[in-house]
Amino acid sequence: MDAGLFWEWVIKSLIIVLMLTAGFAYATLYERRVIARIQVRIGPNRAGPFGLLQPVADGIKLIFKEELTPAGADKVLFFLAPIITVLPSLVITAVVPWGDTVVIGGRVIRLYLTDINVGILYILAVASISVYGIVLAGWASNNKYALLGGLRSTAQMISYELALGLSFVGPILLAGSLSLMDIINAQKHLWFVVLQPAAFLLYFLASLAEVNRAPFDMPEAEQELTAGYHAEYSGMKFALFFMAEYIKMIAVAMIGASLFLGGFMGPFVDRFPWLGPVYLFLKVAVWLFVMIWLRATLPRIRYDRLMQLGWKVMFPLGLLNAVVTAFVVVLVGG
Amino acid sequence: MSEAVPRIAQIPNLVDLFPDKVQPDTRPGYQGYLVGREHLLEVVQRLRDEYGYDYLSSVTGVDYLPEGKMEVVYHLYKTLGGPALVLKVQMPREDPRVPSLVPLYRGAEFQEREAWDLLGIRFEGHPDLRRILMWEGFAGFPLRKDWREPYFEEEAKPFKSRWPEGFVFRAEDRNPFGDNVQYPPGFDPETWTPPDDEAIYRVLKRASEEDDLHADTLVVNLGPQHPSTHGVFRMVVSLSEETILDLKPVMGYLHRNHEKIGERNTFLQNMPFTDRLDYLCSMSNNFGYALAVEKLMGVKPPERAEYIRVMMAELTRFLNHIFAIGFLLNDLGAYFTPALYAIEERELILDIFEAVSGSRMMCNYFRFGGVARDVSPDILEKVRRLVYDRLPRKVDEMDEFLTRNEIVRERCEGVGVLTAEQAIANSASGPVLRASGVPYDVRRAEPYSIYDRLEFDVAVRYHGDIYDRYLIRLDEMRQSLRILQQVVRDIPEGPIMTGKPQYQVRVPPGEAYGRVEGPKGELGFYVVSNGKPNPWRYHVRAPSFINLTSLVDMARGAKVADVVAILGSIDIVLGEVDR
Amino acid sequence: MLQDYLPLFVILVVGFAVALIAVLLGMLFGPRRPTPRKAAPYESGIVPYGPGRRRMSIRFYLVAVLFILFDVEVVFVIFWAAAARQLGWLGFLAMLVFLIVLEVAHVYAWKKGALEWD
Repeated sequence: MDAGLFWEWVIKSLIIVLMLTAGFAYATLYERRVIARIQVRIGPNRAGPFGLLQPVADGIKLIFKEELTPAGADKVLFFLAPIITVLPSLVITAVVPWGDTVVIGGRVIRLYLTDINVGILYILAVASISVYGIVLAGWASNNKYALLGGLRSTAQMISYELALGLSFVGPILLAGSLSLMDIINAQKHLWFVVLQPAAFLLYFLASLAEVNRAPFDMPEAEQELTAGYHAEYSGMKFALFFMAEYIKMIAVAMIGASLFLGGFMGPFVDRFPWLGPVYLFLKVAVWLFVMIWLRATLPRIRYDRLMQLGWKVMFPLGLLNAVVTAFVVVLVGG
Repeated sequence: MSEAVPRIAQIPNLVDLFPDKVQPDTRPGYQGYLVGREHLLEVVQRLRDEYGYDYLSSVTGVDYLPEGKMEVVYHLYKTLGGPALVLKVQMPREDPRVPSLVPLYRGAEFQEREAWDLLGIRFEGHPDLRRILMWEGFAGFPLRKDWREPYFEEEAKPFKSRWPEGFVFRAEDRNPFGDNVQYPPGFDPETWTPPDDEAIYRVLKRASEEDDLHADTLVVNLGPQHPSTHGVFRMVVSLSEETILDLKPVMGYLHRNHEKIGERNTFLQNMPFTDRLDYLCSMSNNFGYALAVEKLMGVKPPERAEYIRVMMAELTRFLNHIFAIGFLLNDLGAYFTPALYAIEERELILDIFEAVSGSRMMCNYFRFGGVARDVSPDILEKVRRLVYDRLPRKVDEMDEFLTRNEIVRERCEGVGVLTAEQAIANSASGPVLRASGVPYDVRRAEPYSIYDRLEFDVAVRYHGDIYDRYLIRLDEMRQSLRILQQVVRDIPEGPIMTGKPQYQVRVPPGEAYGRVEGPKGELGFYVVSNGKPNPWRYHVRAPSFINLTSLVDMARGAKVADVVAILGSIDIVLGEVDR
Repeated sequence: MLQDYLPLFVILVVGFAVALIAVLLGMLFGPRRPTPRKAAPYESGIVPYGPGRRRMSIRFYLVAVLFILFDVEVVFVIFWAAAARQLGWLGFLAMLVFLIVLEVAHVYAWKKGALEWD
């Protein structure tokens, strides 16, 4: 292992983390502008051209906000919870390829951090961790809304993780690999969304629930629980929860695009590998748009129905889809 | 209409029915009957059970200081329709006690608490006689005529300190903010907690203690500083897991003693003051107050003014309902989109209000015997275009997007059910009552203005759940448009005011209860005049205040997420609830 | 092979550093003027009644246990899926039996009311 490789990793890690952070900032602006358009409004347009500096202004404001720790809070957990929440969302996309390989200064650079052979498992494992941050935040706050929100969130996320896991089975069966690179390469000619519409739908809904987005945004249901698990957070600690939510949105969009929409694949990407990240970016933008669109359109599903949907509809559906897909795969391939 | 159903319209002669228990109120300008307080329960029970007076509209008190008497005034109605039966109980000021009517009509609960709170009339047998609008620990009863507020200047406006010299010199100026706060020794506002909370927590129902497997009963405050209580309204909720065991509404955070200020004001000064009740529907508020005072004065507005009044009232109903639907969806978790679509239409209607009255929300448009300004032909043309073209399409649009939405139906159907019996007993009114299957609409039950000549249907739905309360608002918007189309078609030319416009109206002594079908329900004004320029008593029967009585019935057994939607479906405005 | 995993530790460290810096920035620049009123837990502006932490519904525990059971099975399915082609019909039948057993357990929990939520 040479030092150059190590620095390549560091630089790529930094790029991923900072891109995601910037992506978070602009995802908020994107959401506000899109929702404003849907609601016959204009949206933030004062800070910079087209409001492009709005996230910067928001960030600076949050840095200079006073942070409060509620009386009776568990101080250590209260401090750690936002970090534990945001960390998985920052590292989850490490296994998602942004493109193939490019040559910079005579050095062949792979446009992804790493391609481990259990990429899917890594995603599932990391996704589970963020539950801890949320339940800890709810517990540490010494607040009834936060506790209820945190518990709801936990139950919801682990319930939908089953469906999420099962929705991965389809693409894995088709590609015969757990590596995301292999899965994307298997979609060179046909996106898996065509072959696996049920798995795609399952993934889309489960991922919405996983990142607590409307209409599954129960845990932070403003209407009854004010802000749910992060009710007591302010300043940058609050910003980290916010960040985690939006980065997770981007992450599930990237993973979903890789699993079902061909990832960085697109016309001429073989000849111009730099097109890969562009394609991925466009797919993520569309995916995010749909998520925002749903938020602007749909009321919230009630909690008990949400849990029932996860356990009684999506889990069996996922199993069925796995069996049928496996049958066809073995029939054709075996 | 009234000829067709004479039996309903007829008020039974109580003196024949209850000899020596009841006597007619013979004071000039007064109506109804005086009942001895020891006979009240018996008389009212018979009236309810045998004569169909099942709806207790209004309970309030009047302090007749010169006579040394207190009086409690009851307005009873039949849900079949017809005029009011007015009962009064007189008692000495030193001993204001009267039996509570809560065992007969649950709708009396809040109103009796209010009368206790503001007038100090003790209702014996009331299950929970606490202050409701003022805070626990407040000294005195502000609506009593001998109670004087801090910075008291005079009994009635216009105050001499500001008139006729014209310079404004307020007591507050002499004693600037910051210096006028004095704490008793040993009092620290940082650590003080309100003493009345314990009383609320104590009466809440909880899960039984032996049930060890279940979680603790969680007592949560939703509000006053809460995003979805439509203002500073507070619900204390006891939860078992996510299910609501019991709920106590707490209000008064926006209380400003509207009625006391109203009694200091002159009659005309109260007109803009009614705008501030339900600040979304100032036109309807004006309407109710104008009706009450016109009854006292014995004037009738000219034909054109009546049409203009109905036009404004129905536009108000439309904007209130579309607003209510938008925000109901918001309470269901739809992120502001339906609400903003609703606001778009509301703006167009407010444009018309601005054009006729000069103000978008605080219209102050009605006058005794007419309206303030005429509606010009181009404004009328604007209204015509709205009610024939744009607004019907918008109602259909709302209907199309929301009514069959899967999530909306799942959240609303069968949730927050209020039965017809409960609705009547709780004195619910407006869409809340009609969604429970009671086709009671003041515009038909006791027609005022020109409603008896207009064609429209009383919308009614039968399930009494959130979904029906949503649907009935759609229905009523359609009926409002129907009325508006007739009004803009038939509006005659002519004067808009009976007599000359005047600042000081002469109101003969007497009492009057004017009520209109406001967008939120039955809005009543009980006004007592003693011939002076100021009302002796000015009472508002606020529909959203009384509709909140039903909140507990609707919310029990629902999920915590539902309670917000239930509150949204009642459609309250805190300016009216707290007054 | 193992080298593929090393970058994950690198990004973990970088991510943690970024998150920590974000929190520290706020602590560094934000004012800090606590008062007892400000520090009171938020309950819609009312002094909270009773403790903020309490015994919660057993259902959350039930869901957690069910999740652990079924999640292990899902992971098992994922590994089989990667090798399904190679394992052929025998693997498919084995997995079918496994999934049927899994579904029986699921239906059992369902009928027992473990998935109800009221």
